[in-house]
Amino acid sequence: MNPYRVYGKGRIDHRAPVSFTFDGKTYEGRRGDTVASALLANGVHLMGRSFKYHRPRGPVSAGSEEPNALIGTKRGTGRYEPNTRATVQEIYPGLKTNSQNTYPSLKFDLGAVNDAAYMLFSAGFYYKTFMWPKSFWDKVYEPFIREAAGLGRSPTERDPDHYASRYHHTDVLVVGTGPAGIAAALSAARTGLRVTLVDENAEAGGTLLSEPQAVIDGAPAWDWLEAQLAELKALGVRVMTRTTAIGYYHQNMVALCEKLTDHLDAPDPDMPRERMWRVRAGQVILAQGALEKPLVFDGNDRPGVMLAGAAQTYLHRYGVLVGKRAVVATSHDSAWYASFDLHDEGCEIAAIVDTRADLRADLVEAAAARGIEMHLNHSVSGTDGRLRVKSIRINRMRDGKAAFGRRIFCDCVLMSGGWTPSLHLFSHTMGKLAWNDDLTAFLPDVKTEACQIAGAGRGLWGIEAALNDGFAMGAAAAEALGKSGATPTLGVTHDRTGTGVTQIELPTDRSPSSARAFVDYQNDVTAKDLRLAVREGMRSIEHVKRYTTNGMATDQGKMSNINGLNIAADALGKPQPQVGLTTFRPPYTPTTFGAFAGYHKGGHFEVTRKTPIDGWAEKNGAVYEPVSLWRRAWYFPQNGEDMDQAVARECRATRESLGIFDASTLGKIEVVGPDAVEFMNRMYTNPWTKLAPGRARYGLLLGDDGFIRDDGVIGRMSQDRFHVTTTTGGAARVLNMMEDYLQTEWGDLQVWLTSTTEQWATIALNGPNARKLLEPLTEGLDLSDEAFPHMSVAECTIAGLPARLFRISFTGELGFEVNVPARHGRALWETLMDAGAQYDICPYGTETMHVLRAEKGYIIVGQDTDGTVTPYDAGIGWAVGKAKPDFVGKRGLARPDLVAPGRKQLVGLLTEDHSKLEEGAQIVRDPKEAVPMTMVGHVTSSYDSVAMGRPIALALLAGGHDLMGEIVHIPMPDRIIAAKVTGTVFYDPDNTRLKL
Amino acid sequence: MTELALSPDFAPGLLAESAAARVTLIAPVARFSLRCKPASRATLARVLDLPLPETIGHRAHARSREALRLGPDEWVLTALEGDAAGIAADCAAAYDAAPHSLVELSDREVTFAIDGPGACDLLSLSLPRDLDGIGVGQGRRTVFDGQGVVLWRDEAHSFRMDVWRSFAPHVASLLATGCRELALEM
Repeated sequence: MNPYRVYGKGRIDHRAPVSFTFDGKTYEGRRGDTVASALLANGVHLMGRSFKYHRPRGPVSAGSEEPNALIGTKRGTGRYEPNTRATVQEIYPGLKTNSQNTYPSLKFDLGAVNDAAYMLFSAGFYYKTFMWPKSFWDKVYEPFIREAAGLGRSPTERDPDHYASRYHHTDVLVVGTGPAGIAAALSAARTGLRVTLVDENAEAGGTLLSEPQAVIDGAPAWDWLEAQLAELKALGVRVMTRTTAIGYYHQNMVALCEKLTDHLDAPDPDMPRERMWRVRAGQVILAQGALEKPLVFDGNDRPGVMLAGAAQTYLHRYGVLVGKRAVVATSHDSAWYASFDLHDEGCEIAAIVDTRADLRADLVEAAAARGIEMHLNHSVSGTDGRLRVKSIRINRMRDGKAAFGRRIFCDCVLMSGGWTPSLHLFSHTMGKLAWNDDLTAFLPDVKTEACQIAGAGRGLWGIEAALNDGFAMGAAAAEALGKSGATPTLGVTHDRTGTGVTQIELPTDRSPSSARAFVDYQNDVTAKDLRLAVREGMRSIEHVKRYTTNGMATDQGKMSNINGLNIAADALGKPQPQVGLTTFRPPYTPTTFGAFAGYHKGGHFEVTRKTPIDGWAEKNGAVYEPVSLWRRAWYFPQNGEDMDQAVARECRATRESLGIFDASTLGKIEVVGPDAVEFMNRMYTNPWTKLAPGRARYGLLLGDDGFIRDDGVIGRMSQDRFHVTTTTGGAARVLNMMEDYLQTEWGDLQVWLTSTTEQWATIALNGPNARKLLEPLTEGLDLSDEAFPHMSVAECTIAGLPARLFRISFTGELGFEVNVPARHGRALWETLMDAGAQYDICPYGTETMHVLRAEKGYIIVGQDTDGTVTPYDAGIGWAVGKAKPDFVGKRGLARPDLVAPGRKQLVGLLTEDHSKLEEGAQIVRDPKEAVPMTMVGHVTSSYDSVAMGRPIALALLAGGHDLMGEIVHIPMPDRIIAAKVTGTVFYDPDNTRLKL
Repeated sequence: MTELALSPDFAPGLLAESAAARVTLIAPVARFSLRCKPASRATLARVLDLPLPETIGHRAHARSREALRLGPDEWVLTALEGDAAGIAADCAAAYDAAPHSLVELSDREVTFAIDGPGACDLLSLSLPRDLDGIGVGQGRRTVFDGQGVVLWRDEAHSFRMDVWRSFAPHVASLLATGCRELALEM
C-alpha cells in the first residue's frame, strides 16, 4: 500500500508492485516508478544531506535536473554508483539504494554541525581559509579539501559492466519528445528524410505526460501521443528513449548516451550497460523545453519544498500526491494549474501565495471555486520543520517590503519562479544568446551549426505554441536538406498558457543576512553568498560562479544559473546581459566514465601490434617492451637469468658467433617512379644519384629546422625503386612527412610512396657466422664479401622463400637482414633457428640490440637525439650531401644557432670508477660549483658492455667534440661521478668485423 | 554465438557468428597498390585488361582481377594468388610508356568478411562513415576502431574489410564483441 498513491492515475502499472530498499529499509513502488516517485508514494521526502551544510534534502524536481535527491545505487559487486539522481533511476525488484553524506544516519547526521556554523562557510571560504600558513598546505589543508571534495563515495571495485558505442547517421536529429519534438520529427519524416528522435526519459512525450488534460486536434493528449508515436514508427523514425544528448560538437556531431540496463530487473551480464552514440546529423532540432526555476527564500531547501511542475509530474506520470496539505508559492501562472490538479485529486491546498498583485481572473475564479485561500502580493520569509517542512511563513508586501509574517501549516510547499529555456546543447555549439527582458531569460540567437530550436527552448509557452513551432521547425530542417512538406497547424484546447514575473530572493521582514535562501542546492550556495561575492569585488558572473561555486555542481546549474545571475545583476546594479551567463559544457547530465571509454578497456584498451614472429618469442619466454604501439621482445631470459645476465649472454653470443633478431617492426616505405631518385635527393640529406641498384646507404632525414627526425638504411632495388627503412616509431610520421612534401611542394614529381612495413617480416642475423648460416639456404645470390659486400641489397630465394636480402649491420658484426612476405616470417625464423643450432644461434631482443649499437656509436633517433640535434652535433655530418642543391633541412642547418660554437654534441663517456651512469643524468664541468650548478648536458645512453669489459655511455655535451679526454662530472643523489669524454665508437673503430 | 580466436598465423575461417552477423577471415589474395598520373591510366588498364575506375570508391573487375579506386592517383588491385606475377609482368611491360608504381601488398593486410542482417550495425560500432553513402559494389578507404582499413561492399549486408596484419587481432576482437552484443538486443 502506498499512502500517497492516487489509484488509477499516472503511467505506472498499479498492478505491478516492485520492492527495493533505501538505506536498508524495504519500500514498495510500482512498475514505472523512479526511486523518487516510489519513495514519495510512501511519504518519504528526506533522501539525502546537502554537500556543505549537511542539511536534510528531498527531491525538488522530477527530472534529470535534480540537484538534491542524489543517492547511491547498487546492483551486486562492482555495480555501485554514487550520485544517481533518484528522480531518474527507475526501480526494479532488488534495487538497493542509499542516502549520501550522512553519518551516522540520514535522520541523525553529525555533519549537520556545519549547518549551525554556516557563518564560517561563506562565499570564498576555501580561498580565505586555506591561504596560510603555507606549511599547513601539505599536511592539513590539502587532505581536508580532498576529504571534503565531492559528494558520494567513489566505487572501489572494478566495474564489471560492458559499455558500447556506435556511430549513427541521420538527416534530422530531434532532441526531446515533448510536443515540439514530436511535431518536428513528424514534419521532417513525412518528407522522406531519415529522422532520429531521442529523449532522456524512459518514455516519450515530455510535457504531454504531465498534462493529460490537453486536447490536441480533438484527441486527449495521451491518445494523440500514442497515435503520433505509431506514425513515427511507421515512417521509419528511430525513437530512442533513456537516451540523453550529452554534447553537441562541430559539424552536427551530437553525442548520445543511451542507458540500456540500469532499469532492467535482471539484465544479461553480457549486455552493455550504456551505449555512446556518435550521431552525425544533417540538421539538428533542439526541442529540449524549459526548466522550472525555484523561488529563493529562507528554508526553500527543506524536504517537502519542491517545484510545482514536479508535483504535477509526480501526480500525472506516477500517480503520486507529494503531500496531503500543500502551500503553493509562485510568481508564475503554471503553479496555479498544478494546485488545481493536486486539489482535484484530494490534496488540500492550504493557500496559493503569489508575489504578484494582479492575477488573471480565470485563475482566481478557478481557485475560488475550489475554496482555495489566495494571498496575492505576498512574499515567503521562511519554512519550519526538521526533516520535512511543517509550515511556511508568508508576508504581505507593502511598497516592496515584507510586512510581519504569518505561518501556515502544511506538509509540502510547491513553488514556481517561472521557467528557463534549456540552452545547454545550443551553448555547446558556441551559438550566441540574446537576452529577452520580457521573459527575463536568454534565448538562442545566432546559430553556428545547422540546427533549429523549437518550442519552449526558445521561449514559447503552451502546448499549442510548442507543437506548431515543432511542425514549422521540422519543415525548416527538411527544407534546408532540399525537401519540402506541409506545415500543419493543430488546435489545442485545455492548453495552459500563462505568464509570470521573475523574482530575485524574496523580500523578508527578518534579517536577510541570516536567511538560508538557497540558489544552488547541490553546492549549498545562498543568495547571501552571491551578494557577498559581489561586495568582495567579483564583477563578472564567471568570477561570481567560481568564488561561490554557484552552478559548479554536477547539475551544472540547471536550476541555479539564472537565479544566480539575476541576484548578481541586482547586486551589481547592472542589466543581466552585462553580467553575463556562464558557459554550459558537455555533458548535459553526469555521464559514466564507462560510456566514454566504450570498448577501450582490458585487452581492447589499445592496439598491441605484434610481429609475425611474436608467437615464437612468447613461446620462448621473451620479456617484452612497448615500442610505439608494438610490443617487442626485450630480452630472452634463460634459467632464471635477470635482465643484465640475459643481455650479457645475448651480446656475447652475437659477437662471438651468431645472433638472430626480429626487426619486423622497422618502418618500410617503397619509393617508386621515374623521379624516385630525385625525390630521395630532396628528402634525405644524403646523395642518392650515384647509388647503384643493388647497393644500400644509411639515410638521414631532417626537418625544415635542420634537426634530425629519422634515419634508416635505404636500398636501391632498381633504377626507379627504393626500399626505405625508418625507425619503428617513425614509420607513420616519416610517410606522412614525405606525402606532405610530395602533395604540397613537389606535385611535378612522378614518384609514389607505399607503406610496406607489414608486407615484410624482417629477420636480422649478426655475428661472424651469419654468412655461414645463410649461404646454404640462399639461392640465386653469391654471398661472398666480394660479390655481396657490406651495404648491398638483392632479391633472392632464402629457405625457398622469395626474399629481399640486405647486407647491413646495426651491431658492428657481419650482418644480414632478410625480408620475406610477412606470412612466412615465423617459418623462416624457425628454419634459421634450426640451421643455426650448429653455431649456437642466439635470439636477442631490443636491449641487446641497443647495447651492441651503442658499442659502435650508432645513434638511436629519439634516444640520443631529442629534436634539437643536427647531424653535425651527432657526429654524422658525413651523411650530409654538401654538393646537393637542396634537401629538407639544408637551409635550417645554416641558421646562426645551428652553426654557433658550444652546441650540445654527442660524445662517449667512460666513468673513472667504472660505474654505470644513469640515462638522463645531468652533466656539470665543475663539481664544486654552488648549487644550482651549470648543467652542460646529459647522458643519453648507458650500458654495461661485455665487449669492452666496462660500462659505456653516450651523452650530449656542450662543446663536447672539443673536450676529448677531459673529465666531466655527473652529480647523483649520493655522490658525484667523474667521467672521461671520448669518441662515440667504443668497439672495433676500424670496422674490420663488418668486412668479414 | 560462436566465437573463435584469430590464430597467430591468420588461418582463414570463421571467427564469430551470431544471429546478427558473421565474421570470417578469408583466404589471402594477390593484392597490389597501383599509383599513376591520369595520363597513364588508360595504358595500364589496357595492359592489365582491367578497367581502372575514374570515380573514387568505384570498382571494376575483369576475369578474376578487380580494381578499386581509393584516391586521385591510387587503385588497389586484387587477383588470384597465382596471378601476382602476371600482374607485375603486365605493368612492368608498360612502365616506360605509362610510368607508375606497382607495389605488392598481399601480405600487408588480411581480409575479414562481414555479413548477416546486422552487418551494417556491426560496422557502425566503430566506422565513422555513413554506410548509406557506399553503394553495393563500391568500396572506400576509411577507418575502423581507429585503424586504417579498406571496406568493400559486396551486397547490402555483405562486406569485406582489409586490415593491416598487426591491427587485425584488435579489429577482430571488436567485431566479435559486436556480434555478441548485437545479437543480445535482437
